Amino acid sequence: MVKLKLGYPEDPDYQERLEEFEARIARGEKIEPGDWMPAEYRRQLIRMISQHAHSEWVGMLPEGAWITRAPSIRRKLILLAKVQDEAGHGQYLYHAAETLGITREEMVEALLSGKAKYSNIFNYPTLTWADVGIIGWLVDGMAIKNQTMLAQCSYGPYSRAMVRICAEETFHHKQGKEAVLLYARGSKKQRQMVQDALNRWWWPTLMMAGPHDTDSPHTPLLLRWGIKTKTNDQVRQEFLNEHVPELLDAGLTIPDPDLRYDEKTGNWIHGPIPWDDFWKVINGEGPMNRHRLMARRRAHEEGRWVREALEAYGKRRLAQAAD
Amino acid sequence: MWGTEWPRFEVIKQDTKHGPPQMVGSVHAADPEHALLVARHVFVRRPAAYALFVAPAEAFFHVSQEGLKDLKPTRREGGSEEPYWVFAKRSHRRSMVYGDLVGRFLAQGPEDAIAQALLQAQGVAFWAVPERLVVGTEPTEEVVESWFAPAKEKTYRLQSYYGLITAKGVEND
Repeated sequence: MVKLKLGYPEDPDYQERLEEFEARIARGEKIEPGDWMPAEYRRQLIRMISQHAHSEWVGMLPEGAWITRAPSIRRKLILLAKVQDEAGHGQYLYHAAETLGITREEMVEALLSGKAKYSNIFNYPTLTWADVGIIGWLVDGMAIKNQTMLAQCSYGPYSRAMVRICAEETFHHKQGKEAVLLYARGSKKQRQMVQDALNRWWWPTLMMAGPHDTDSPHTPLLLRWGIKTKTNDQVRQEFLNEHVPELLDAGLTIPDPDLRYDEKTGNWIHGPIPWDDFWKVINGEGPMNRHRLMARRRAHEEGRWVREALEAYGKRRLAQAAD
Repeated sequence: MWGTEWPRFEVIKQDTKHGPPQMVGSVHAADPEHALLVARHVFVRRPAAYALFVAPAEAFFHVSQEGLKDLKPTRREGGSEEPYWVFAKRSHRRSMVYGDLVGRFLAQGPEDAIAQALLQAQGVAFWAVPERLVVGTEPTEEVVESWFAPAKEKTYRLQSYYGLITAKGVEND
């Protein structure tokens, strides 16, 4: 483990070092493990990266539920690869967080005990096959907007994980879009199914970008230190401007009666977001919160014997090599 | 021997036969062989790869940009030497890899190895690891084929696989 050099506001040289640190970020340099950083920079990064890693992991569940029920072998192969990617993304991100001196075990423990947060979007159920398409196009579409922004992050390991993830998420986005567009011009039943999925996922997707900037206390500091490079509302606006025209072109109805195009700014303006629902779900009252955690705990427990066997085998091999 | 979690291994991936091995991330595993298998699942779900290497994360000596000015390599007359692999992060440009292999250096310690690498390569951060701790896949045709070729045949492989998608239809699918 690389030794961290953390700065605290009470350190005598804090101000001086903070200025150097912020100048480095302003020059576009990446901060690497082993470089001096404010303790608060580390804390914010651990919070964000570990939540992001948990989201990838829990995110396997809603779609994984459809692997056995995919309508064709081609769709099944695509979905298998996608869910496998999400597992890999969790691994990249846990690694990035570990460079900040938190252990994998602490993070997994925080997730399984229900202490850690993960993206609220995964606390909603996937009721039909069309949900898999909508998740790929819209949920992953919003995730890509956020992740493209985070690929510019000032912390080297997080930025690298994001570059790797973005390259793969683009496939996810395209396969979802392809599926949704196909159903949108399919039979009446297919059109109904995909419209129903859009109705259920639209608002939770918009909420993925996070609270409005006026309600997001961390944002100014995160922007100053280059952890984020855009605000929540900017990310949400980019998503709307790309996806609204395409959804309308496909003949789908967006479940927001107040949605309008603003000629002056060229932006699509959404109506009031139902935040009460967001807070209810994030505080554990969502339809699937308990189910998701139970599934992760069960996977952890059921995999225990495999981990123990691998460990015993590894130890024996090391002992043999030492003889 | 280890705490409550498996040791962490740094993963080094070589994309092509003549490309440089590059540090791509890390995995937890019970032994080097297990680490290679996990690394293949995590880092080679897409092509291309020619070889993978792993070494215990704790065996890496690291110098950050800020630490380079304080690097103090020492060489003793007649001191014992061993080969080290030295990696350099070349720039602050956006990337999915961190260190590129600069080369192998016969050195008395990791700082000595990095000091030698600095004569050949510029970089904003360096890593050195003793070669004896690096374990990799064999560069034989058979191994490369069985380890890495399956990724090329995935249905769901490249972004271009989907062509251009619009409300009117999907091209080339």
